[in-house]
Amino acid sequence: MQSLDGIFHALSNPTRRAILARLALGEANVAELMAPFALSQPTISKHLKVLESAGLIEGGRDAQRRPRRLVAATMKDAADWIEPFRRQWEQRFANLDTHLAKLQQAKPQEEN
Amino acid sequence: MPPQAHAQTGLEIDHATHTIRFVRSFDAPAELVFEAWTRPEHLRCWWDAAGGLLAVCEIDLRPGGTFRFVSGAHPDMPFTGVYLEIVPPHRLVFEALNSTGRVQFASAGGKTRMTVEIVCGSAEQLEQFLQMGVAAGTSQTLDNLVAYIARQGVAA
Repeated sequence: MQSLDGIFHALSNPTRRAILARLALGEANVAELMAPFALSQPTISKHLKVLESAGLIEGGRDAQRRPRRLVAATMKDAADWIEPFRRQWEQRFANLDTHLAKLQQAKPQEEN
Repeated sequence: MPPQAHAQTGLEIDHATHTIRFVRSFDAPAELVFEAWTRPEHLRCWWDAAGGLLAVCEIDLRPGGTFRFVSGAHPDMPFTGVYLEIVPPHRLVFEALNSTGRVQFASAGGKTRMTVEIVCGSAEQLEQFLQMGVAAGTSQTLDNLVAYIARQGVAA
């Protein structure tokens, strides 16, 4: 289990999110990531290091090309973490739904 | 299918604009949903995620007017803020917890598609906000789930 602080810190940077979006399409190495982002090799490497230590990406199989790829399990950790927050609002909206139904029963719509 | 399947809440975290976005449809006209958000006698019935009536629900509905919601279970954690924009029955904007809440209501054939956006000032604030929500939410999660299932069972 990766540190959620690390995951959310990694996700807080727009370039790193763009790198993740690119990797969601498939493996890519540093050279392949440099072109679309117009960033220097050290800058890309720095971002990759942050993503790697957060556990969001890992090295792919091809040792020569040194591609990086997404770690699906860590992305899911981040999503799971948000789940209770989502559920709290879901509950609130379920309450609202129930309340609206009650209001409409008490005061039937005249139009329609 | 479970009865709540039609009423799923969509959640989107937009990291680029530091926004948390919920989307949900209600089987009620926008006027009514807007009232449920802006009249204390209605809002106190549904705001508490744990399902209780709010102990305090004060609404001064005008731009610059304040609101204050306090649940009976957490009298030490009032939710307070200031209304910024009130456009019945389309739009309600307020500021709370150093972020902006933007609620929009779109009518569609007697139903309402509601979008709730929590716009944070920065990525760091978005994280803090989620962490806070989780802290408050986790303890309630099981209780909520039980209450929710019970209510769905009654409704079905």
